[in-house]
Amino acid sequence: MLITILNILILFVAPFILLGILKKTKAFWAGRKGVNILQPLWDFVRLMKKDTVYSKTTSWVFKFMPIISFSSIAFASLFVPLANGKAILDIPFGFIVFAYILGLGKFFSIISALDTGSSFEGMGASREACFSTIVEPAFFIMMASACALSQNYSFESLKTILAHAGIYGYLIIILSALTLFIMLLVESCRVPVDDPTTHLELTMIHEVMILDNSGSDLGFITWGAGIKMFLFEALIANLIIPQGMSDYATMIMFLAIVILLSIIIGTVESALARFRMTHVFEFIFIMTLTALLILALVTYRIYGN
Amino acid sequence: MTYFMLAIFTLLIGGLTSLFFKEKLKLKICTIFSGIASILALPSAIKSIINGEIIQSSYTFSSFYGTVNFVIDPLSAFFIIVISIMSFLGLIYANGYLKPYIEANKSVSSHCFFLMLLIASMLGVVTVQNGLFFLVIWELMSLSSFFLVIFEGEKKEVRIAGIKYLVYMHLSVLFLISLFAILTSTTNSLSFTDYATILNKNTHIANIAFILGFLGFGIKAGFVPFHNWLPDAHPAAPSHVSGIMSGIMIKTGIYGILRLISMIGVPTKSLAYFVLVLALLTLLYGVLYAITQHDLKRLLAYSSIENIGIMGLGIAIGMIGLAYSNPVVATFGFAGGVLHIFNHSIFKELLFFAAGNTYLKTHTKNIETLGGLIKKMPHTGLLFIVGSIAICGLPPFNGFISEILIYAGMLLGVPSSEINLFIMLVISIASLAMVGTMAIVCFSKATGITFLGEARSDHAKLVNSDVDRIMLFPMTILAILALSIGLSPQAFIKLIWGPVSMLANSPEMLVIFDSIRNFLQILSWIFVAFLVVLITVYIIRQKINKNNITHSTWGCGYDRPNSHMQYTPSSFDNLFVSTLKPLFKRVSHIKKPKDLFPKDAYFELEIEDIEEAYIVEPIIKLDEKFLAKFERIQSGNMQQYILFGLIFLVLAIIGLMIFG
Repeated sequence: MLITILNILILFVAPFILLGILKKTKAFWAGRKGVNILQPLWDFVRLMKKDTVYSKTTSWVFKFMPIISFSSIAFASLFVPLANGKAILDIPFGFIVFAYILGLGKFFSIISALDTGSSFEGMGASREACFSTIVEPAFFIMMASACALSQNYSFESLKTILAHAGIYGYLIIILSALTLFIMLLVESCRVPVDDPTTHLELTMIHEVMILDNSGSDLGFITWGAGIKMFLFEALIANLIIPQGMSDYATMIMFLAIVILLSIIIGTVESALARFRMTHVFEFIFIMTLTALLILALVTYRIYGN
Repeated sequence: MTYFMLAIFTLLIGGLTSLFFKEKLKLKICTIFSGIASILALPSAIKSIINGEIIQSSYTFSSFYGTVNFVIDPLSAFFIIVISIMSFLGLIYANGYLKPYIEANKSVSSHCFFLMLLIASMLGVVTVQNGLFFLVIWELMSLSSFFLVIFEGEKKEVRIAGIKYLVYMHLSVLFLISLFAILTSTTNSLSFTDYATILNKNTHIANIAFILGFLGFGIKAGFVPFHNWLPDAHPAAPSHVSGIMSGIMIKTGIYGILRLISMIGVPTKSLAYFVLVLALLTLLYGVLYAITQHDLKRLLAYSSIENIGIMGLGIAIGMIGLAYSNPVVATFGFAGGVLHIFNHSIFKELLFFAAGNTYLKTHTKNIETLGGLIKKMPHTGLLFIVGSIAICGLPPFNGFISEILIYAGMLLGVPSSEINLFIMLVISIASLAMVGTMAIVCFSKATGITFLGEARSDHAKLVNSDVDRIMLFPMTILAILALSIGLSPQAFIKLIWGPVSMLANSPEMLVIFDSIRNFLQILSWIFVAFLVVLITVYIIRQKINKNNITHSTWGCGYDRPNSHMQYTPSSFDNLFVSTLKPLFKRVSHIKKPKDLFPKDAYFELEIEDIEEAYIVEPIIKLDEKFLAKFERIQSGNMQQYILFGLIFLVLAIIGLMIFG
């Protein structure tokens, strides 16, 4: 029980701190002092206190989007194994429900962007929609391969790769981590796919879709985006953490990995510039490639010899 | 059974009676008769589906046909239920949709008659078990729907679409005639039970029969590469007809395929792969082209093709389960496929009706000229969004339930199988995932451009009110059905146990059903919990968010934004289309601006179906070239034609004397 409460607490608070760490890392590489690690949290609190501005063009879809987007992400997190290595809702085929519930949030964020009648937001909506068509199949190939190895049909299968794949396990884990890492960059809109700190609307993806959201609506959206990033980091952490440790040891290791991942993302953001929009597709196709490599390895493992 | 036959006669009588009434009353009469027919048809169907009973009645017309059996088994019963409910809702909707046409003094008498004939023949097709009568009723169904499609026959594009539809349907009949000819010549009987015996025993005949049947039924269902009639016929037909055709009529093709499978019993592996490959092709092709369409009903037609692909995928997984004797995979696959038939008929009718509402109010189907309709037509807008979420397979609506069953079938089939099956299944999983996200692209575009934002032209600007209540009523029922199947799938899943146990016949059936039901029970709790979370977040937001300010949309510092600055559908899908360039044939019509003070200039981009452009059209050209050689004998001279007839008769007599 205590573990579950701790889990939920981590789920809802950690995203802010991880974002703070990410920002601190970027400041470090840029040679700046940077803001306080808790600054994203204070930003969020301030947003919650502000009034909301709605465009004359918008309808109820726009007002509903932050709620649906946030609840879908919060709800999807129930299927992901968190700090103690167990998902709160561990059902078979949980990863499909996870992907589709996130899809519901995505659908609403796209149509809400179109609801504002702004050309910039339409641009962002179009990009967001197109990129996810490449991300999703790769994710499913990876999960199906993992499921085939362990014959377990939820996210649990990610944790048992090493136990079932033997020597190839390490390679599969590295490739899976890479796939999930690219998925993280795309889904939570980090450099080199998207630059959340850019000032030019024309080059944004996710940020431009929420140009017209303000106040508590924006607060919910940024919180949701933070949780989404945390979820993908959690998935990567689950790949790496060895099995059979005590709950608290797992939890500490989990937090260490998640923090490390945030530092890595910050470093990637500092080292790379955002790709040109046409090259983003090529970058995301790396994910398909790694997923297919995982499939090849798993096939060899099961049917080889 | 007598009640069911009575239902068919009620429909026919209703169609005939309506001819004697005033134009205004005709549709009302038809609706009432169709309601009575549904009430008559449903009890025996429900009885058969729950108890697994087979209800039968035989008629003997002449010794040549043998006995003609009308049979309600669980598979037919499932289709009877779908047809009865959906056609009745379609007729209610037609009352509102045709009102402006009747007010403009357009005759609807033949339309009413053929509508009733179509429903009656659909009910006949799914129950008759005699080869010859099947073909006759099948042809009645195709012809009556052809007359429904050409309702606005004074328009040229409608006539062209109608003729195209007719040609495709007769191509379909050609395959079906050869199918029944082969079966009849080997069994010396017209009865389906005799067919089943030979198909079950002789794998060689079963393979040939299945492929012929799949081609014939596949044309009706719209499998790629025989899908070409769909995107033309649906926009041409009035919306309630598109709804009925896409919602239920194309499913009679799927019925034929399922009936063949149930007769064959255990299909060979190669047949299963054949269906799997065509299904994958169909779903990817359908959604790719759906994204690029700017005509709302054409978009929905392509999306029907995609959904036929999803049903085909479910059926293929079921067949793979049978071929590899894995009952769990077979059950999950067939359950997903069959449930998707019902689900698709619900949300596709809903979407076609909503598209009809916008057409009726704006007089255009081109979404480039629409926008902002949700403020003027709030109910239609909401219902369209519900339909879009459901068709994208997003929870908590019904599309998700059938898709997750198909996913489950594929994933469960993954471990204990051969290497080629393993690879195929993983590719199928990835394709289904890709199709899911592409459907999101397609329907976020359809919703966002049509209903949200600002009006792009006067078509949308001048709309003043939502449509009549009589049109919104059937749509609301459909939306509620979509949500309730999503929220409590375990209750509705009973509908498909009968047909699925007929298809995936195995002793472990009940155990597997129990596990599916338990799984769906969990899903149901999860979705209810999701709605609770949603409402909680909503309440919290309302508490926090007290002061709202209204302002114009952020235009990057520009404070006079207008509707022309919005993203258009072409720009929305441009990123997608330009990335997948080789898959589309893009035809652009440009008039460049000239001189110092250019007057008119335009750019128009059309995306043509590559299958039509590179396969169908060359065949037609070859055909025309060949037939042009016979042009000479077509002189227009009556005497000459009589001479031809005479020569033919003489030749026939000589032929008879020599060979007879």
